[in-house]
Amino acid sequence: MADYDRRGGGSSYNSRKRRYRDDDEYERRAPPRRRYDNVPPPHVRVRKQLIAIAENPMRPWHEEVYSIATLFTDNWDDELLRSNFVDLALQLAVEQPLKTPFVAAVVIVANAARPEIVDMLLAKLAKLVEEKIAEGEWRQVKLYLKLLACLQGCLEGEGIFPLLEELFNRAVDLQTASSEDTIGTEIVKIILLTLPYVMVAAPGKWNQKAADLMEKTEVIASEPHTSQALVEPWHPESSDETAPQSQSLIGLLQAQLQNEANNGWALPYLPRPWEFPPSNSEMQTKLQNAQKHALPAIQIPETVIAGPRPLFPEVYFSVYANQEVQSVPPTTNAAASLIRDALLDTINQLDFNRNVTARHLIDLDCFFSQRTFTARATPFDKLREIEPPKSTWKPEDVAVDAVFSQIFTLPNPEHKLVYYHSVLTEACKLAPAAIAPSLGRAIRYLYRNAPRMDWELAYRFMDWFAHHLSNFGFTWKWTEWVDDVELPDVHPRKAFILGAIDKEIRLSFAQRIKNTLPDPYKVLIPPEKEKDAPDFKFANDETPFAPEGREIASLLKRKAADEEIETYIQRIQSQAVDRDMDALVASTDVFVTCVLHIGNKSLSHVLAAIERTKDRLADAGAASDAARAQIITATMAYWSAHPGVAITIIEKLLNYSILTPAAVLEWVLRGRVAETRGRVLGTAYMYELVANTVNKVTSRVRGLAFKVPTTPEEEEEDAKTRETEVARMRALFTEIEEALAPWASSSAREEQMEEDGKNEEDERMVRRWADRWLRVFRRRAAIEETWLVEAAKERERKKAKAAEEKAAEEAKKEQEEKEDGKKPANGVAENGEGEGMNVDA
Amino acid sequence: MRGPRTTVERLDQPSAYFLNRSNKRRRIDKEHREGEDNSSSPEEDPVVKLQNATTLYVGNLSFYTTEEQVYELFSKCGEIKRLVMGLDRYTKTPCGFCFVEYYTHQDALDCMKYIGGTKLDERIIRTDLDPGFTEGRQYGRGKSGGQVRDEYREDYDEGRGGLGRQIQLQRMREREREAREFDDNYARLR
Repeated sequence: MADYDRRGGGSSYNSRKRRYRDDDEYERRAPPRRRYDNVPPPHVRVRKQLIAIAENPMRPWHEEVYSIATLFTDNWDDELLRSNFVDLALQLAVEQPLKTPFVAAVVIVANAARPEIVDMLLAKLAKLVEEKIAEGEWRQVKLYLKLLACLQGCLEGEGIFPLLEELFNRAVDLQTASSEDTIGTEIVKIILLTLPYVMVAAPGKWNQKAADLMEKTEVIASEPHTSQALVEPWHPESSDETAPQSQSLIGLLQAQLQNEANNGWALPYLPRPWEFPPSNSEMQTKLQNAQKHALPAIQIPETVIAGPRPLFPEVYFSVYANQEVQSVPPTTNAAASLIRDALLDTINQLDFNRNVTARHLIDLDCFFSQRTFTARATPFDKLREIEPPKSTWKPEDVAVDAVFSQIFTLPNPEHKLVYYHSVLTEACKLAPAAIAPSLGRAIRYLYRNAPRMDWELAYRFMDWFAHHLSNFGFTWKWTEWVDDVELPDVHPRKAFILGAIDKEIRLSFAQRIKNTLPDPYKVLIPPEKEKDAPDFKFANDETPFAPEGREIASLLKRKAADEEIETYIQRIQSQAVDRDMDALVASTDVFVTCVLHIGNKSLSHVLAAIERTKDRLADAGAASDAARAQIITATMAYWSAHPGVAITIIEKLLNYSILTPAAVLEWVLRGRVAETRGRVLGTAYMYELVANTVNKVTSRVRGLAFKVPTTPEEEEEDAKTRETEVARMRALFTEIEEALAPWASSSAREEQMEEDGKNEEDERMVRRWADRWLRVFRRRAAIEETWLVEAAKERERKKAKAAEEKAAEEAKKEQEEKEDGKKPANGVAENGEGEGMNVDA
Repeated sequence: MRGPRTTVERLDQPSAYFLNRSNKRRRIDKEHREGEDNSSSPEEDPVVKLQNATTLYVGNLSFYTTEEQVYELFSKCGEIKRLVMGLDRYTKTPCGFCFVEYYTHQDALDCMKYIGGTKLDERIIRTDLDPGFTEGRQYGRGKSGGQVRDEYREDYDEGRGGLGRQIQLQRMREREREAREFDDNYARLR
């Protein structure tokens, strides 16, 4: 444990000091102790100070900026320092984006003494912007542009504007070419997010330019994107009139900036660390009169690309919307977008150290102007007493909101969901008194509103909730939802409770979770969950084939020869025929149950048991559809108290191809749905089973889609496999659609309704569940199609690039041959080899 | 191995423990070789061995944590290819560590970043990139069959068998001796 503490921090902190630093009392931090008798060399000091810039709230920004800049320029002759400085500034811009304005300020102040530094920086910066545009790494493009924007005051002529305009022209081209284009939207978003930093870096000078640019972006930004429906987090029932509505991020941004423009770009919350107090007017004039620099030319390629993952339009999401007091910036204020954007960049860029991410989230008020937020850990109730114009924005709410906006991003956030879980966990650990109440309010909001959410997102909420509690002793004020325990299981809130408890138990064990719940909830954990192992149904003589079942189990246990087992299988099958049962189903049920039973000690045991019997299992699965379905039925039945185990086993059976994805879907969507009159759709683990199965198929297809062949024969073969797999995937989505559509609200299922007419409310809820499932999988289907399109483009690009390289290589070879006077026949053979190597590289 | 030094430490780096141990091994190997033949010494960087690692060592588990619990948590970073529970060499019961193998290197790195240092079964667990499981490594290397760290541990850890085993043994011997002495004294008084 102690090990971990030591590894936790960033190198920017003195880890020893940090351990004692209580977040709530940061003001009282002791001054840093001198640790060196000899002062370390300047490049070490500059690195250390620059990395930690703005972290100390007690130090005025301009002082800190000035001291780092002076330390740097005073040691200008140190070559190591000079080159390291530029690289570090650029690295900080992408790794710790909240610090960009402060890093820029150091550069601006250094410019007054050593103007060369800006040229050095701009040369590298321009190259990086160019590179990242070519790679389609749009987030990094944005981060470098932000640094550039902050340096607008040191730039010659119009500075960054020509670049922004050229980017905009590219966006227009893209948007005119296709209404479905998302790169153009992304570019416009970047332009709009860069603009405010230009306006604070060089106040008052560029209002007209900004107005011109914004007039142009208006058309693209205010038009709702054609694929916005794919990312819409809310999925209210048609009768729900008060349901939250989400707004397109870029549309919101355009409107917010228009407001700002009308107010003369006040942007009071953005930091201006390059401004010196009026008492130091000498410094201010010095900065103003410092040398201006030309921005090196930045080439934007003819065709820009979407980068490593397809882009989707974005919507603004907040768990603190519509509160009586605004604890986060309202959506009419550009602060909502700008602060959110800076936080999201931090979160997504710093995924390699969640501890530092969490630290930045908690220290968020250090990186924006004073008085932007309330004091840390101000209780929500106290916000009401704050008088305007003082801010009521709670820094914790703003931080937590940003993380949740990622968890609830469709189709997927940039990193695995568990990363965002871990950021919230760390934030909660660092400043429990500040963060926990904010999380509590978020949980209540989500609990109330999850039923109106997209089902995939509501499921993510449940998964996060259980995982989060598992890091904090499973404590939650369950009593406040106690009335919902009485609701029917298909009710979405009850389904949430059941699902969350199941997930908690999976991470812990039933007895433990039971102890954390108030009494009324305890009935939700049946006694089977507390048993060490599930009952073996063949232990009971009442069960058909009990003697055979016991016999097979003991044969399996002592690893008897397959022929011995076969005898009993035959016996079951002939008895089944006598009893008018499906012989294959009967024997499969007995056999699978026995395999599970002998492997019930742990997953390793059951996997070993499956490994030993995989031939027989595969034969059973291949024998008939009914037998294959019985494998699933037996698994789910044996592990009914622990569906998580059943799901893992089914996943492994899919890997062995004992089961097929289609069989799993059919079992749930045709079999179980019909048997339960659709109620099963409200069970979280059934969704998990289906979603996992679909994921397996889609990730395989994606893998194939991005595979670049090395030879023409391989290309042909790849294309063939791809075609079959894509067809199979599409068939799967069609099957989901067809199986669920009859249960959805759009279909009139009169007869079934009459038959089951007793409980109309239940019926309504089942239809709602079907609607929600349908929406999730329709979206999944649409998203996969987007991936296929992107993958095809990517393949073409790679092919073209390989051909280009090959041509270049050949030309080079030819040249060399001419010089060497070699025979051409030799050259051909060599080229053949070269080709293979080329594509590999 | 992945570009310039980052401005904050990366959590997906091999631990100091791993590096120290590998370096020590390399030194010992080198000394061995120097005696006989010092021509070609394959200076293998321990970090290189982890370049494509898909396996993680997971430590500080409770003895009572089950495979299913490990699956539940670690699947959040990707499908698990194989899970090997660490066992007491003599009793063959879990002794508080395991190896988790993923299908991809990226999943293993993500696990280092997002799961290492968080709680499983209410204990903070430790993850470390591992060059890969080999048969035999599932057993504790401590004197009494468990992990070495559970031999002389002085704090009482309920999830890991209480006090360190050697300390428990020592205490037991002390108690026995006291009891014997008490008996002797008692006998003498009579």
